Amino acid sequence: MYVIVVGCGKIGYHLTRALLSGGNEVVVIERDGRRAEAAAEEFGSIIIASDGTEPTVLGEAGAKRCDVLISTTGQDATNLVACQVGKSSFHIPRVIAVVTDPDHVPLFKTLGVDVAVSTTELILAHMEEEIAGSGVVHLLPLHGATTSVVSIHVPAGSPAIGRELSGMITPEGTALAVVIGRDGLPRAIGGGLLLEAGDEVIAITPPEKEDELWRAVTGEG
Amino acid sequence: MAAQVLIVGCGRLGAMVAKMLVDRGDRVTIVDIDAENFRRLAEQPGLSMIVANGTSNEDLRRAGVESADVFISLTAQDTVNALAAQIAQVTFGVAKVVCRINDPVRREMYEGLGLRTVSPSLVMTDLVLEAVER
Repeated sequence: MYVIVVGCGKIGYHLTRALLSGGNEVVVIERDGRRAEAAAEEFGSIIIASDGTEPTVLGEAGAKRCDVLISTTGQDATNLVACQVGKSSFHIPRVIAVVTDPDHVPLFKTLGVDVAVSTTELILAHMEEEIAGSGVVHLLPLHGATTSVVSIHVPAGSPAIGRELSGMITPEGTALAVVIGRDGLPRAIGGGLLLEAGDEVIAITPPEKEDELWRAVTGEG
Repeated sequence: MAAQVLIVGCGRLGAMVAKMLVDRGDRVTIVDIDAENFRRLAEQPGLSMIVANGTSNEDLRRAGVESADVFISLTAQDTVNALAAQIAQVTFGVAKVVCRINDPVRREMYEGLGLRTVSPSLVMTDLVLEAVER
């Protein structure tokens, strides 16, 4: 792939390294002269010391034949404009923006940014899983995140061990899909299947029903 | 009828626009991230000055964006103006949004995307050419 990275701060730098080692063709645009120089020492001539929100600069960087543009600066305004110029002036198929203020995420998407990555939200999502400790892990958001595919872990010593799932009453709007055993193999719910320690129960639930579902499955809380 | 106007950026341009609108009878709120910039304006009825980040939904709400008829972003940075203006237009649905975009190429792009833009560099170019020909 041909990738343009705007901004060579911490995120841009590590992203560029990963993209290069993945065999991609990469051009990096960094406005700060000193930062650009430091990056050029490591990455060579793929660094352009200029403003990645300027159409002429993006043009010189080969935006016309670019597959993906990723804007990684610490400024939401810069990342938005780089993406909008990339999309509407150069028709780059996929534009990705790092977003600092989570409130901007829906706006960026409305304005044509294909992926808006909120660093704050990413960290919070991980922390909530750690903090809640409920054993409900988010695997996949569905339907614009009104429901999610989640995994409920059955730890050793859990009162859930030995329970039968097929007849279990789960909260309205939730459904149990399959059980994945400690051996990593799926087992269908039903046919007298009993829960064992180390099982992962894969289920579908809206966020507000998570705790209730967890209690129903594990018999805890 | 007097309009409720919200201006982002109290540089020379923002301050002058604010003063002229208030003199004309509009109610103006002007925000800037740096309180120091309000030195350009004298307090007068119909004018509020609020220290706020013009690209933060929360700050804009505090500055009354939800009841604004007109939103004008006039900071020195095209990117900040573009973000602020699009927040006003898309997130808050302000009826009239005007945005300063200095770079003529980007200005054309944003016009195409439905923003009302003004470009000081284009205006200046016209004035200089006019002065040369006079």
